[in-house]
Amino acid sequence: MDEWKPNPAIKPHKKRSWYLAWKYKLMNQRTLRKLCQTGAVLFLLVTVIVNIKLILDTRRAAYEEEEESAQDYDDELLNVEVPRHPVSNKKVLDVEVYSSRSKVYVAVDGTTVLEDEAREQGRGIHVIVLNQATGHVMAKRVFDTYSPHEDEAMVLFLNMVARGRILIFTIKDEGSFHLKDTAKNVLKSLGSQVAPFLSWRDMWTFVGKKGGELYGEKHAKSPALSTWGDPVLLKTEVHLTSVEDAECRWPDTELNRRRKRFCSKVEGYGSVCSCKDPTPIEFNPDPLKDNKVFDVPVAVIAGNRPNYLYRMLRSLLSAQGVNPQMITVFIDGYYEEPMDVVELFGLSGIQHTPISIKNARVSQHYKASLTATFNLFPDAKFAVVLEEDLDISVDFFSFLSQSIHLLEEDESLYCISAWNDQGYEHTAEDPSLLYRVETMPGLGWVLRKSLYKDELEPKWPTPEKLWDWDMWMRMPEQRKGRECIIPDISRSYHFGIVGLNMNGYFHEAYFKKHKFNTVPNVQLKNVESLRKDAYETEIHRLLGEAEVLDHSKNPCEDSFVPDTEGRVYVMFIRMEQEADFTTWTQLAKCLHIWDLDVRGNHKGLWRLFRKKNHFLVVGVPASPYSSKKPSSVTPIYMEPPAKEEGAVAVPAVAAAEQT
Amino acid sequence: NGAVFSKVRGSQSGHDSTRWHVVRKFLGLIASHNIPVYLIDPLILGLVDKDIEQIRSSPDGPSPECKYFCAPRDFTTFALLDKTWKHEVGLFRTAEKMGFQWLKIINKDPRLDGMDDLSGIEIPLHYIFKLASHAIHLVVFYERSGNYLWHGPLRLKQHADRKFVPFRKLHFGRYPGAYEKPELLLVSIDDLKVQIPKNPSSFLEEMSHSRFLECRYREARAFFQLYPDDASLDAVEFRKKAKSLLHLAALTLNNLGVKFWLSSGTCLGWYRQCNVIPHSKDVDLGVFIRDYKTDIIPAFQKAGLPLKHKFGKIEDSLELSFQGEGDVKLDIFFFYEEDDHIWNGGTQAKSGKKFKYLFPKFTLCWTEFVELKVHVPCETLQYVEANYGPDWKVPVKMWDWKSSPSNVQYNGVWPVDEWDDVIQIY
Repeated sequence: MDEWKPNPAIKPHKKRSWYLAWKYKLMNQRTLRKLCQTGAVLFLLVTVIVNIKLILDTRRAAYEEEEESAQDYDDELLNVEVPRHPVSNKKVLDVEVYSSRSKVYVAVDGTTVLEDEAREQGRGIHVIVLNQATGHVMAKRVFDTYSPHEDEAMVLFLNMVARGRILIFTIKDEGSFHLKDTAKNVLKSLGSQVAPFLSWRDMWTFVGKKGGELYGEKHAKSPALSTWGDPVLLKTEVHLTSVEDAECRWPDTELNRRRKRFCSKVEGYGSVCSCKDPTPIEFNPDPLKDNKVFDVPVAVIAGNRPNYLYRMLRSLLSAQGVNPQMITVFIDGYYEEPMDVVELFGLSGIQHTPISIKNARVSQHYKASLTATFNLFPDAKFAVVLEEDLDISVDFFSFLSQSIHLLEEDESLYCISAWNDQGYEHTAEDPSLLYRVETMPGLGWVLRKSLYKDELEPKWPTPEKLWDWDMWMRMPEQRKGRECIIPDISRSYHFGIVGLNMNGYFHEAYFKKHKFNTVPNVQLKNVESLRKDAYETEIHRLLGEAEVLDHSKNPCEDSFVPDTEGRVYVMFIRMEQEADFTTWTQLAKCLHIWDLDVRGNHKGLWRLFRKKNHFLVVGVPASPYSSKKPSSVTPIYMEPPAKEEGAVAVPAVAAAEQT
Repeated sequence: NGAVFSKVRGSQSGHDSTRWHVVRKFLGLIASHNIPVYLIDPLILGLVDKDIEQIRSSPDGPSPECKYFCAPRDFTTFALLDKTWKHEVGLFRTAEKMGFQWLKIINKDPRLDGMDDLSGIEIPLHYIFKLASHAIHLVVFYERSGNYLWHGPLRLKQHADRKFVPFRKLHFGRYPGAYEKPELLLVSIDDLKVQIPKNPSSFLEEMSHSRFLECRYREARAFFQLYPDDASLDAVEFRKKAKSLLHLAALTLNNLGVKFWLSSGTCLGWYRQCNVIPHSKDVDLGVFIRDYKTDIIPAFQKAGLPLKHKFGKIEDSLELSFQGEGDVKLDIFFFYEEDDHIWNGGTQAKSGKKFKYLFPKFTLCWTEFVELKVHVPCETLQYVEANYGPDWKVPVKMWDWKSSPSNVQYNGVWPVDEWDDVIQIY
C-alpha cells in the first residue's frame, strides 16, 4: 500500500476515474479546502449523488453479471455431465487456472468450468469450489474486491465452505484495492503465500484445499500503477479423496439422505452441511387450531438466488400452520441450485423457461406460476403468493386463517397482503390491527382464484409489453376500486438486496427498517370490522374519538405529536382532489416512510402510528372524512421541493418497484 | 387367520392362493404407510356387484370360501388418489423388504402441459408391485380442473423392462381416463378389508367409456404463433361469457342425465386452440336424438336461459337455441344415427329450407375444456374435417352455416303446414 500514490492520470475504470480523481483531490488538498468551504460542500453534494449513482450502477452491473455467469454455469454443467464418470473414477484432476486483466478461466480435466472475458464485468476475485471426491463444481462466486465490503462477503463465504473442499482463486482486472487484512489473512490461512502481499493490479491464481494442502499458486506483480501484471497460467494436479472421506457421517435417515445429496453438490449454505451439528431441515412448527388455510396452495416465485430461497423456505417452513404439501416453488429458468434447495427441503419445484426480458420476464413467470398453481390444485379457491426474498412471520398462516373468510365473502376486496407499505419500526405498533387500503402491496399475499381466472389471466400483459405485473395489477382497470386487507405490522420481511429493481441503497432507505411481526399466535382484533360498510363505521368512530393535533406546528417535527401513548390523533392535510398527493408525499418523506408513490391510503385517509399513538391523516377536501375537520383548522400544505432539489432527493430509483 | 384360510382354499381347484396372499401383503404394506387405496379391479368388482347387498350388510363377517381374490389372474388393480399421499421412498423400501419387486411409470404432468414452457415435473402415473406370480397394478388418480379424477396412460420408456409383467393384459393404462370422484365403502371380502367404490356397477359403467383425450396443447401453441390470439377486451369478455354459459349448460344437461358433446365451432376451438374461439359468438353442443328429453327446454328456462328458437321436430332435424347472457347463444343440435353415418339438421327460418350435415360415425371421449370435464368425439379430426374441410386450421371470420360447411347437403323444404311446429322463434 505504501507504493500507492493517488494519481488522477491512472484510470482503473474509465467510468469511475473522474469521480475518484475528485475524491482524492479533495482528501489531499486540505489547506485549499478551508479557503473554499462552500465549494467543498458542493463537492460533497456532488460526490453523494455520484456515489449513489455509482452504487446503483455497480449493483445493477453485479446483478446482470450474476445472471450471465449463472447462465454459463448451466451450459457448463451440461458439459461437465460428460466427464462425470471418468472424473469420479480417477484419482487425479488436472486443473488449469488463468488470471489476466481482461480474461479469466478455469478448466478442470480439460473442461472449462469458468470463462469470463466480458468487458467491464467480472472484476475481482473469482472463487470456485470443487468437491474433493468427485471434482464437481459446487459453487462459483465472484467478489469485486476492488469495491468496498466485497472482501467481507468473500470471507463470509469462505468460512462457510466445508473443510476438505478444493478452492480455486483467480483475479480478473483488479482484486486488491479493497481487499483488507482480514480477508488476506483468511486467504493466507488457506495456504496462500502471496495473498498477504497482493497489490494493485497484480495477477494471481491459487488452488488449495480448505484446511489442508496447497496445490499451486502463481502471481505476477504489476510493474507500475498504470499497467497490469502479466497474465498467469497455473497448471496443477489435485488428488481426489474417496467419496466417504468427502461426506459427513450423519445417521442414515430420509432427511439426511436429502441433506447428503445437497451437501455433496453445493457449497455456501453454512451449518446445514455441518458434519458435527447440522442445522435441521425439517421444522415441525406447531399446527394451527382450526386452520382455514391448510389447504390453500402456496406458490413461491423464485429466480436464481438460491441463498435467498434457502433463507425464505426456512422461515416459511417454520411458520405455524404451514402445510409443506401445498407448497410449490416456481423457478424462472433452468437453474440447478435453486432446485437443489427445493429438494433439500423435500418440496416440489417447477422450472419455467424464461420468456421475454427484465420486468416482462418476471411478469410472464408470475402468470405461468399462478396458472400452474390453480391447475395443480383445482379445488383451491385461493393461492398464497410469495417471493424468494421474503422472511415469513411465524404467525403468517394464523394471520391468514383469521382473515381469509373476508376475501371469500366481501366482493369489494382485491387481496389480503402480509405487507404494510407504511409499516416501519417507527410507524407500526399493533400486531392485532388490520387496515383496508386502496393499493396492492404484494410481498406475500392471497389471490382469489375467481379474480385470477375470470379477470386477470385472460388479459394478463403479453410478453412484448414490458410491464411489471404488480404495477399492472394496481392499475384501475384491474383493481376496479377494490381494496386489500393489510396488517399494521407486516407478516413478511423483504430482505433481498439483489434484484431486478433492487439495490443496497434502495433497500437500506425503504426496506431495512420495516417492522416484522415475531409474536406467535396473535389474535387479530375486530376482523369483522374490516368488511366494507363496517369499516366505514369503524373509521367514523375513530375520527370521532381522535384528538385534533395543533396545526400550527411543523408536522415533520417530533413535537407535533404529544408525548403520550395509546391515544388517537388526527391531522388534516391539503388534498385538492382524489389524485392530489402533493402534501402527502412531502409528509411521507419527512416521516421517513414510503414516498416513491402513494401507498396505504383509504379514501384520502392514512393510518399509522407515531410515538405509539394512532395517527390519522385526512386529505381535505378530497376525502369523504373531511367533514370531521373542525372549521377552525386549516389543512396543512407542504410544498414540494424545487425541481433541482427534487432531483437530488429522489434518485434514479424513483420509478423502481418493490418487487 | 390367513393361513387357515389358505388351507381351505388350497383344497379347492381353480383357486389361486398366491393371489390372495399377495393382495393381503400389499394391503398390509400400504396400511403401514397410511396410504388409502381402493379396489378398481373390474373383474373382482363385477363379482362383488352381484353380491353387493350381502357384502354391504355384513361388513365384518368371515367368508366361508375365497370367492373374489382367488380366481387365478395375473393382476389385481387398485387406485390411489394422488393428493392423499406424499410420494415417499419409504414405501418402496418396505415393499422390497417384503419381497416385492416394483416398477414406477412416470410421465409429464398433463395439468401443466397446457402451459408454456414449464418443466421439472414428471408425475407417477402407475405402479406395479410384483410378488411371485402375481402383480398389483396401482393406478394413480389426479384431481383436475373441472372437478374430476384423471389417470394417465401407461407408456413404457425406452429402457423399461417390457417383460416385467404382461402389460397388454392390464385393465387400465391403454388410454388415459376420466372419472367422477367416487364414494367409497369399506368392506370385508374374502377376509380382506378393502375399500371399493360404493356403487360398483356404476363405476364399471363409467369405466367402459372413460377414455380421455388431452387437448393438443402443442398444436394450439403453434396455431397461436401463426395467428396471434385476440386479446381485445371484447374477446376476453366473450370468452368469459361463453365459459360461464358452457358451465351452466353442462350443469343443466348433466342434472337431466343427457349426454352431450362439444360440436361445431366450440369443438373446433377446443381441437385447434384449446380455447373458445372469440369471434364464434355462440356455444354449440351435440346430443344424440335418442337422449332427447322433453324436460330439456323447461330445465334451461329454469336455469335462466330462455328458448330462442326451436327448429325441426324429434323425428327430423331437431335443433334448440337458448339465449345466454349478453348475446351469447347456446345451440343444441340433435344427431341422428344411420348405418354408415351420423347427421344433424338445419333450418332456414324465412324460407323453410332444410339442410343436413353429415358426419362419419364417432364415439365419445372425455376431455377438459375451460375447467370442465366434457365429451368430444374421439375421432375429432374426422369430425372437424367433415364440418370445416381440410382447411380447418385457418381461421375464418365470415361463416355461413348454410353454405360454408363442407358437409352440408340441401335437404328440401318443410311443408308449409308444419311451419308453426318446426319453425318456432321467440
